[in-house]
Amino acid sequence: MTPTTSDSPFKAILPYRDVIHTTDSNGNHFGWVDLPSPEALQITGKRLAEYGARLCTITAFNKKKFAQDGDMQMVYNFDLDGAVLTVSIPVTPHDRRVPSLVDYFANADWHEREFAELFEIELTGRDAPKRLFLDPKIDTGVFNRLVPLSSMMNGASTKQLWETIFAETSMPDWAKEAK
Amino acid sequence: MATYSIPVGPLHVALEEPMYFRVDIEGETVKGLEISAGHVHRGMESLALQRNYFQNITLTERLCSLCSNSHPCTYCMAVENLAGIDIPERARYLRVMADEIKRLASNLFNVGIMAHTIGFNSLFMHVMEVRELAQDIKEGVYGNRMDLAANCIGGVKYDIDDEIESFLRTQLKELKRPMDELYRTYEKDPLVTARTKGIGILPEKDAIRLGVVGPVARGSGIAYDIRDKAPYSAYDQLSFTVQTETEADVRSRALVRLREAIDAISLMEQCLDRMPKGPTVPDCLPDIPPGQSVARSEAPRGELIYYLKSDGTDRPQRLKWRVPTYMNWEALHIMMNNCKISDIPLIINSIDPCISCTER
Repeated sequence: MTPTTSDSPFKAILPYRDVIHTTDSNGNHFGWVDLPSPEALQITGKRLAEYGARLCTITAFNKKKFAQDGDMQMVYNFDLDGAVLTVSIPVTPHDRRVPSLVDYFANADWHEREFAELFEIELTGRDAPKRLFLDPKIDTGVFNRLVPLSSMMNGASTKQLWETIFAETSMPDWAKEAK
Repeated sequence: MATYSIPVGPLHVALEEPMYFRVDIEGETVKGLEISAGHVHRGMESLALQRNYFQNITLTERLCSLCSNSHPCTYCMAVENLAGIDIPERARYLRVMADEIKRLASNLFNVGIMAHTIGFNSLFMHVMEVRELAQDIKEGVYGNRMDLAANCIGGVKYDIDDEIESFLRTQLKELKRPMDELYRTYEKDPLVTARTKGIGILPEKDAIRLGVVGPVARGSGIAYDIRDKAPYSAYDQLSFTVQTETEADVRSRALVRLREAIDAISLMEQCLDRMPKGPTVPDCLPDIPPGQSVARSEAPRGELIYYLKSDGTDRPQRLKWRVPTYMNWEALHIMMNNCKISDIPLIINSIDPCISCTER
């Protein structure tokens, strides 16, 4: 992404002076802005909705990879008639609340339900969202925990399955010794 | 009139992949819908954080089968945007070719399933027979019928010599006539029209409100296509039309997909005509710096967006992708309102749902 000084398509929409404007190798426009607090998101969201922006996606992540209960960042990507604006807000461990944008962007619903479920982030301005993906028996905030790759891929499992098979199956002695 | 609820899924003959719909019925008419996902959630975004930038090309290609080229291509674009990598001119055209052959096969699969859903099985089999020409192209050029493994960071992993070019031109020429015939059948056949016209309507204002993308949006009159609005690869050098319909029903979405499949043939031919000679990858690649980037492409089902955050190591700090189907599920509430029970599979198929993509 190349920083550019050409006319920014984002200037007229967002009053912030520190919107960074870049282009890619095809000349497509990208805007980047860091908001100081989650509260500023609601004002920005309202303004973007008034200008006909479309919410593309919302991403949550830990500022320190694999940290648990540390500082987080929320990233909102909006489409403005072909240009992409990326709006970031900080989320602290002491206050994991972010304002909902469903009043301005109806398609924020699934995104908000997803990050509330996977990262245990609380949404303000809407009813408690229903879980989107995972079985209710799985704790919320599961993405904040380090799950070893081998466990995730079921490579590391208990011996219960094979012990059951061995117990219920007649097999030659050499096979029993091999277990 | 008695009101009751019926379950559709998660495993159901009308569904290609698992999804659960609880449908509230009054007589034969749908009065309410609840969608439950999560049956094939695999935690792939978390896996992506534990693999290096090269390994993630392989991982993203395995998100789903029908749009399997769009994922690694857009992922590579995100990495290239972050590191400031310019891909060679020839690779730009080769990326378009891989994208378009997948679009052709994916769209034909969807309209074929639509024919099967309305009980027109001879049409379904004919569509799948035509689609075999596209599958042969994939097998002949890339060595695989689904996952092409065409992309790498900085370019592509394949090239086209004179022999393959000749094979491609022959196959593309062979596709043209049956594709035109198929389009006329879907457009004019009285049985297809009777079962698809006026079914599953998504008015333009609702399409805008819900932020739907791809043929679902374009079938409701929204002329938005990433290839046109924010061109990538070599799309800015190629000529094509953003296909739209205004009836906003199942038929409109099928016609948009078929016209885009026909355009895909033209785009591939244009690539063969205009592609310059030269390298397909850069001489060397830089280290991936800390920072963030975004890349978008027009997958067969619509806008695909990748967000990448790097902490300067060889593995992403965060890799997030939002697939087109993710944006289109909620439109089913509008499309299925007051529809008949028999139209449920037809309407669900009309958003061309990709569940393995949605759930990651």
